[in-house]
Amino acid sequence: MEILRTENLDKIYQDNGVPVHALKAINLTINMGDHIVIAGPSGSGKTTLLNLLGALDKPTMGKIYINNEDISEKTKKELSDFRLHKLGFIFQAYNLIPVLTALENIEFSMMLLGFTEKERHKKALDLMEELGIRELADKRPNEMSGGQQQRVAVARAIVNDPTIVLADEPTANLDSDTGSHLLDLMERMNREKNITFIFSSHDKQVIDRAGRLIILKDGRIV
Amino acid sequence: MLFKLAWRNIWRNKRRSLVVLGSVIIGIIAVLFMNGFMNGMLNQMLSNQISTNISHIQIHKKGFNDNKVIQNHIPDADAVEKKLSDNPDIKAFSKRVITFGLISSATNSSGVYINGIIPDKEKEVSIIFRQIVEGHYFTGDKREIVIGGKLADKLEVGLGDKVVIMSNTPDGTIGSEVFRVAGIYKSFSSEFDKSFIYIPLETAQSMLNINNRIFEFAVVANDYKKIELVKSSIKSGLNDNYEVMSYKDLLPFLVYQIDLSKESMWIFNLIIELALIFGIINSMLMAVFERINEIGVLMSIGMKNIKIFFMILLEGLVIGIIGTVVGLISGFLIMLPLESSGINFAIYTESLESYGIGAVIYPTLSMDDVLGVLIMIPLISIIGAVYPAYKAIKLEPVNAIRYV
Ligand SMILES: Nc1ncnc2c1ncn2[C@@H]1O[C@H](COP(=O)(O)OP(=O)(O)OP(=O)(O)O)[C@@H](O)[C@H]1O
Ligand SMILES: [Mg+2]
Repeated sequence: MEILRTENLDKIYQDNGVPVHALKAINLTINMGDHIVIAGPSGSGKTTLLNLLGALDKPTMGKIYINNEDISEKTKKELSDFRLHKLGFIFQAYNLIPVLTALENIEFSMMLLGFTEKERHKKALDLMEELGIRELADKRPNEMSGGQQQRVAVARAIVNDPTIVLADEPTANLDSDTGSHLLDLMERMNREKNITFIFSSHDKQVIDRAGRLIILKDGRIV
Repeated sequence: MLFKLAWRNIWRNKRRSLVVLGSVIIGIIAVLFMNGFMNGMLNQMLSNQISTNISHIQIHKKGFNDNKVIQNHIPDADAVEKKLSDNPDIKAFSKRVITFGLISSATNSSGVYINGIIPDKEKEVSIIFRQIVEGHYFTGDKREIVIGGKLADKLEVGLGDKVVIMSNTPDGTIGSEVFRVAGIYKSFSSEFDKSFIYIPLETAQSMLNINNRIFEFAVVANDYKKIELVKSSIKSGLNDNYEVMSYKDLLPFLVYQIDLSKESMWIFNLIIELALIFGIINSMLMAVFERINEIGVLMSIGMKNIKIFFMILLEGLVIGIIGTVVGLISGFLIMLPLESSGINFAIYTESLESYGIGAVIYPTLSMDDVLGVLIMIPLISIIGAVYPAYKAIKLEPVNAIRYV
């Protein structure tokens, strides 16, 4: 089942008046439960594409449909709501709010959705248990390793049962063992919960394990 | 949870938050102190006048206050006295003979206000008897006189010395009498000390040849707050031949000056508040710019701008509330001992006394000032956070997360 489609997506940045054509005519269809890796050299437009798919930025031209809704038509507020309900994000680093514990970080997204304190406490703890990070619950980000932080970030990204999780180089700051551990976790969630994952990476082990590989070069899919 | 977040964010950069808190606390103490000091000084000015001489309410023949001539005596003192005795809201009253005259010693003379008083009754409406610094108050001798220290210096007289008083009588002749200085008083005002002299009522009446006429009733109400009410009730019992005046009517300039000074304190408060607002803007802006990435993450995961805005305002508000609580408590701790002990401005004694204040000023905290702080400081902390919060929500999530 198709959940995401782009039509002739173009993104042109203005870099001090100089136009930078970061994405050119991207046509892409993504199905429910896909495990997609966007690969490509530095500057090829991976982050730009993920930001567009994640409704964090607007395309210069072209359209993005998620669940057949044209997200380029939406207002800022609607997009924010859309991200809250439908999307999960994992960034390369600094995902977590430093003053909140792991558990509170996970609960925070649920609070934004209006869950009661009891509900979110239980659900967040259950999820941590499931992901094998229960013992991190009361730790603050600076008390956790990079890998631990990223696993908490995964939990935060999926706790609201999103349709799609977008992860921009989630393993970039991790050693390969830790990275592989994180990938196991995400693959398991992909299989068990049928969550669609879209990664960007130039990490070989991420690329090797991709369900479907999309290679970008100079802003085009090759 | 937002509160928890705001609270922990404040303590994230302890030094910065403590500096802002410190300035809020010092600002509050300064406001409390200045307002308390002004209040104390102005109230003292007024209450000294009231307690030394004016009393709460005075009754005269109509026109006497503007024209204190000897013809303007109270038309029917007995009737007025009866009315005052029957009024349950009146604590005490006393009759006075008041006129101008000349006091002379062997070496010097001076124009004065002659106050003929009933010594025991006068004690209930004014505190002049307590302000005697040398000698004693009236003991019953007809020729006793009590004068101010400044006047004694000018006349070069001391206790037991003879002075002569002269004044116009109603028929145009000059009445005069010899007195012996029984007591020398010192009030809060050096001007007053120079010009007010006290003699027994009957001696004044016989010297002026006015039988038992009097010129003034000085009245003290049971409740300070109900003076205006008591005034109208006295007024309604008397006909148009009388004037009934409260201390506000009798000291219009002083009352006006007090109002004006209280108004002008707003400017001082405003300056402090503005300084605090800028301090808060500055520190909150730093707090926002330090957290651009974090705010980007919050936006990405779907936190709405309005909530982010509110979160930053909440941080400002929490700082304001902590500052208010600590500031008020430390303000009280500093002010309460001063309220009872007063602050001694011995080096300014002369000028303070010429304003009728007294050398020791007792600052007084008013409920208004405390309420002002309670409302204004949290409010300005929110105001100070508005611009930083606005800056935060103007961030675009993409740019904010790129900031890593
Ligand atoms: N905000 C921006 N303003 C101007 N140019 C930008 C901006 N963001 C990205 N670019 C440019 O767009 C192109 C694509 O950048 P992007 O960050 O998408 O690449 P990437 O594939 O994610 O690279 P990397 O692997 O280094 O993260 C680059 O040439 C980059 O310089
Ligand atoms: Mg990138």
